[in-house]
Amino acid sequence: MGFLNNTTVTVDAILTKKGRELLAQGTEAFNITKFALSDDEVDYNLFDVTHPNGSDSFGKVIENMPLLEAIPDENHVMRYKLITLPKTTSKMPVVSLSVDSITFDTAGGLGQPNRLVTATTANVTDSSYTFILHDQSVASMIVSEGAGSGVGATTPFFLGEDDAPNSKTVVAKSVNINVGQGVNVVKATQLTIIGNDTGATNSITVTNKVTLNSIMGR
Amino acid sequence: MAIYKDFNIQPENSLVSSDVVTNVKDTVSSGMWADGSNSISAYFTSSTQSGSSGTYYLDVYSANPQSDSTAKPQFSVAYGHFNGSGSVGTVGVDGNRASAAIYRQLSNTLLGPNEEKFTFAGSGTNITPKYVYAISIARQQLREKMDPGNWELHLSASGIAPGAGNVLKLIDDSGATTNPTVNQGGRVFNIVSGSIASGTAVRKTDAASQPGGGYGLFYPDLGILVLNGPVLNTSASLATVSGSNLEGGNVGKFYNSIRNTNKFQARREEVITSQHYFCRVPNKEFNFSSNPTFTSGSNGDFTVSTFFKNPKTFITQVGLYNDNNELLAIAKLSKPLLKSYSKEAIIKVKLDF
Repeated sequence: MGFLNNTTVTVDAILTKKGRELLAQGTEAFNITKFALSDDEVDYNLFDVTHPNGSDSFGKVIENMPLLEAIPDENHVMRYKLITLPKTTSKMPVVSLSVDSITFDTAGGLGQPNRLVTATTANVTDSSYTFILHDQSVASMIVSEGAGSGVGATTPFFLGEDDAPNSKTVVAKSVNINVGQGVNVVKATQLTIIGNDTGATNSITVTNKVTLNSIMGR
Repeated sequence: MAIYKDFNIQPENSLVSSDVVTNVKDTVSSGMWADGSNSISAYFTSSTQSGSSGTYYLDVYSANPQSDSTAKPQFSVAYGHFNGSGSVGTVGVDGNRASAAIYRQLSNTLLGPNEEKFTFAGSGTNITPKYVYAISIARQQLREKMDPGNWELHLSASGIAPGAGNVLKLIDDSGATTNPTVNQGGRVFNIVSGSIASGTAVRKTDAASQPGGGYGLFYPDLGILVLNGPVLNTSASLATVSGSNLEGGNVGKFYNSIRNTNKFQARREEVITSQHYFCRVPNKEFNFSSNPTFTSGSNGDFTVSTFFKNPKTFITQVGLYNDNNELLAIAKLSKPLLKSYSKEAIIKVKLDF
């Protein structure tokens, strides 16, 4: 007869940079009301359904792996959240975009039309999306169809403090990407789209070839 | 379909179970000195510090600051005289009067507005001495307060080999004091001869019975020990120089008496206020993941085909959010926790302030 396992899962939390900032503003601003779970660091390709010890050991490699310590930068943790979906879900939500990539050619100049980016989620519905244009010097972004009131972003922007000033984030159902003011040299950036209900993500490349030299040479 | 789960937060006096338990206070004690050690075995001073303010105090290190750039002061020693004797300068004579400045600084911090001099326990000629020696624990080592009843300081005159007869062993009398005096300096205990080597404080002589007057006063909340100068001078053979307008080098003598014995054992005490969050994960929730390796291809198929109707996820992080979906705190598990429709989990997240 063995001993019963009486261990409980107790973990120590650290404040994120945002948490410290709000705590410094007072206890009213620092108000934890909900939690989310994530599986960052896990690669499900390590789940081995051919393990010789049977189904109980399929996830052994993942379960036994050591984990990194917590990082206080809220932009680089909780990237892949766990979701509650119906048990019969056969396919995970996938964010599909109306375009695969956006390129503003030299020939079009600054007068070329906006490019509409509409997001839809296959298999499960998202009520809105978080659009992140990582570098506003490449192009500009405006909301085409809004998300309605009371809709917030899901936060995993993956933007560091150095990136944030150059980036733009909006919550919407679709956005227009504009060529902007032109660039010094041909430049590209990423447009990341996150489903606000499912956490599903997708991204496309935005390239601007309309350089200032090409504009003056016209 | 959900990513977040709201905490069930109930008022503190509610009988209904709440997911959030606030204002949990735990008293944590640990070694006072560098790296959590409870004793210092080697003592050093900094020539830079002693050259600039050494007549007032000496910072004492547990590693040589000349060769170890990470060495930090552990405590400071000082000598104070009510009239400034033992230091350069006097009334009407130029000089910093360092010992007077130190004495008045200590009395102003530790005594009431109508008290001028420290009064020690017992009876004798040195109940209200004109000079004192003091130890002030460095802020980063003290953190919140010293742990009464858990420190021991040895003193011995420099040049005399430490031995049973030559070493003065000092502790506090908190173990015999159920209702300590509390004044402007917080709680006050007497410093008495004795030892904590056996694990509990064993007093040799009570403060009231100490010939000539008690050894000193201990202010745990401020991390300051004020030692009766004349009594210490006799017991530890400090050879205090208390001439007027004369630098007596008394701070250095006091430091040497500590260094000569290599024994200052102490603990600190901290009250940690925590909040506990019970993250209840029912069997039907959080069984799918937005992790890109959870799916393969572009149509959302599971990477592991057996996940259909029997999905499994592995929890590695718990994020605590506010109503604006801002991540305020993050907790990591020591290893991934398997979650499926046949498993439930309660993860208790402890957040210290």
